Amino acid sequence: MVKLNKTFATTFGLTAALALGIIGASGCQDNSAAGGTTGTAGTTGATAGGTTAGTTGTQPNASPRPTPQKDGATIGDPIKIGLVASQNGDLKPWGDDNIKGSQLAVDEVNAAGGINGHQVKLRIEDSNSTPETGKSAAQKLISDGVVGLLGEVASGITQQMEIVAFDAGVPLVAIGATRTDIATLGSNFFRVCYTDDLQGPVMAKFAYDYLHLKSMAIMTDNKQPYSVGLSESFRKAFEEMGGKIVDEQKYQSKETQFSSYISNLKSKNPDGVFLSGYFTEVGPIASQMRTAGVTVPLLGGDGWDSSELITSGGDAIVGNYFCNHYNNEETRPEVQKFLADWKAKYGGVPGTTMGALGYDGAKLMMDAIKRTMDAKGTKSKDLIAALEDTVDFPGVSGKITLKGHSGNPPKRALVVKVTKTGQSFVKAYEPDEVMKK
Amino acid sequence: MNLVAGLDFSILPQQLVNGLLLGSIYALIALGYTMVYGVLRLINFAHGEVFMLGSYAALFTSWLLGFSPEAVRGVDRPSTWVNLVVMLLVSMIVCGLIGVLIEFLAYRPMRNQPRIASLITAIGVSLFIQYAGGLFLPQSPPPAISEQVNPYRNEKVSIVLKPAGQEIVAQAADATKKAAIAEKAYDDAQKAGAPADKVEQLRNDAQIASNDASRLQTQVSSQTSGLVIPYGQLGMLITTMVLMAVLWFVVQKTKTGRAMRAVAHDFDSAALMGVNVGRIITITFMIGSALAGAGAMMYATVLRTPLSPFLGVQPGVKAFVAAVLGGIGNIPGAVLGGILMGIVETLVVWLDGLVPGLSGYKDAVAFVVLIAVLLFRPGGLLGSSKVEKV
Repeated sequence: MVKLNKTFATTFGLTAALALGIIGASGCQDNSAAGGTTGTAGTTGATAGGTTAGTTGTQPNASPRPTPQKDGATIGDPIKIGLVASQNGDLKPWGDDNIKGSQLAVDEVNAAGGINGHQVKLRIEDSNSTPETGKSAAQKLISDGVVGLLGEVASGITQQMEIVAFDAGVPLVAIGATRTDIATLGSNFFRVCYTDDLQGPVMAKFAYDYLHLKSMAIMTDNKQPYSVGLSESFRKAFEEMGGKIVDEQKYQSKETQFSSYISNLKSKNPDGVFLSGYFTEVGPIASQMRTAGVTVPLLGGDGWDSSELITSGGDAIVGNYFCNHYNNEETRPEVQKFLADWKAKYGGVPGTTMGALGYDGAKLMMDAIKRTMDAKGTKSKDLIAALEDTVDFPGVSGKITLKGHSGNPPKRALVVKVTKTGQSFVKAYEPDEVMKK
Repeated sequence: MNLVAGLDFSILPQQLVNGLLLGSIYALIALGYTMVYGVLRLINFAHGEVFMLGSYAALFTSWLLGFSPEAVRGVDRPSTWVNLVVMLLVSMIVCGLIGVLIEFLAYRPMRNQPRIASLITAIGVSLFIQYAGGLFLPQSPPPAISEQVNPYRNEKVSIVLKPAGQEIVAQAADATKKAAIAEKAYDDAQKAGAPADKVEQLRNDAQIASNDASRLQTQVSSQTSGLVIPYGQLGMLITTMVLMAVLWFVVQKTKTGRAMRAVAHDFDSAALMGVNVGRIITITFMIGSALAGAGAMMYATVLRTPLSPFLGVQPGVKAFVAAVLGGIGNIPGAVLGGILMGIVETLVVWLDGLVPGLSGYKDAVAFVVLIAVLLFRPGGLLGSSKVEKV
């Protein structure tokens, strides 16, 4: 409508540069944003990379881990434990649930008289969803004298925290960091979630044995190391069982139109499709697949876990399956008690599994502190030994045994089915069933 | 299927349609960029954020209309087209007002400053809205508009060029029947409390039958050569075209449009001729932002992407590139640029069959196309680049 202005060239030059800047910035957001979507996000930003290296949960003492040089903080009164969580930025939804879960656990212990008569103080610092801020948050908490650290939900941030915690000799209990190889960084590292080595084989076994799907296509979110790693481990396990991967389409986080990938995939006639990405894309992908006439079963990892999956996926996502840490419908007493307490304190049910895992992390830490104090231990160093000694801790997300597992507890994984109102439990896999070495 | 070196040509027509539909989204947002640039010579970087706010406006409206996640969980709520129109209007009005507000608060004080000051302000506004949105807008978990608000969600236009073979159609129908029978047998056994191993056996049979059925149905669909166009996306394409035409009419044929062109041509002279420059600029922002609102409502409703305060960043950048590609300041150019971008991206994904891994470079390819076009036509495809007399 308008003719070109004389200053177009200069303006364009500038804006092009600025636009590139914005693209760069959006790139960063992409990394941490979707990295955050379940908190089990493999990595954010700085630590993107493969997920399969390192020790596995079922291999006792696969490799010796370095031991911290320092003894760490002293257990005081009140007993201070630190939590690094994303109160801002893209991981906020998972950080919020983590905080709520951990706070619930601490309040519960305090209401019951604390640990051996000492009240527990949960100090919370914001990681702003970035590894750099997460690192300085951990430093701040350690200089405040916390005896142990909790966090984070994303592996990239957790890795930076572990570096700080290791130097200070303070134990770190990770909440949702599933990247396998972080555990090799030091003997002070523990986690309450399963690792990425487990999810792929679980879903491969479920697809092959339970659903009888013999040829699968994969859709991978190429911008998410979590998704790339999960696709890889699924492919490997599925092919080892004798299944065939007929196609792999690679999209990128924050895309909204997937019809071109779906057209490609449809022409390969798979029995089922494995969607290793996050629910933010999985929902739209599922509905666009059904529109395009692809009616085969869809499967995925814990990246699907969100109460919003059903809103974005609609009817198309109902009846499909994914792997999860725990399920609100489980009848185990730990789960029922946790949900009742959560409802009393916050109302509703936790929107993500990070509520339960945050609760388990804090509970595990406090349990270990009690055992340390009972054994007349006073230092973080003793707390590390107590954590390492954990056997069959009754977590909301299942039993946690850390003894002899190099920080990676062998945990059960659940396969759940998406229903119109949430998820329904289908099948549980014990780690021994799927991990063979 | 005529496979040539890993390329499946039978899906090419569908891929071109996919590209056209993707491009129509870019085009709709690009229209707003181009309008503001045309009149003010200002790249309104906050346009993507107006888009984001528009999608939230549509979300809240859908909640008020009774389609909140709690209200639709587990039930099928009927909806009509009226809801969609209400959402569209609310989103357009909200965005129009926000656009005016941004112009009034952020750009107007900068009007007599060097252009670079406005540009930096625009980026500031964009970041401000993103992070302020982070404080106030629901994002935990990222909300999406329920599909139930859209009564046409399952409707699609299917153009069949050559139907799938009768044999496979018959097989699929047969398998679907068998699956239903097996499913019923399994259900009955479960209800009757049959022994566990018997139930498990029936579950396996039902599962295998249902796998066969879904695989064959998918095969029928993939062997039918033709085009599938969902109503929602068709609606987006048509809306884009209609809005482009309306916009072109307003700018070229109305008095306000003439004033706009006058302001675009020369600010000061237009003011001297009695054009109320401030008012024209306000109207420009209002129209441009309302277009973003229309785009946002359809984007959030049809594609049902979960919303976040950073939602506008990626479409914003793509649409900006589309506007530049088509010739920024030029209305048909914005649409052409958007559609071209969409088709290029889609074809790159299709070519992934020939060059594995290529689809990861689709944004890069889109930018290469932009650079190539600008090398030969610095003003963009439809923009006129005049040699300036010095």
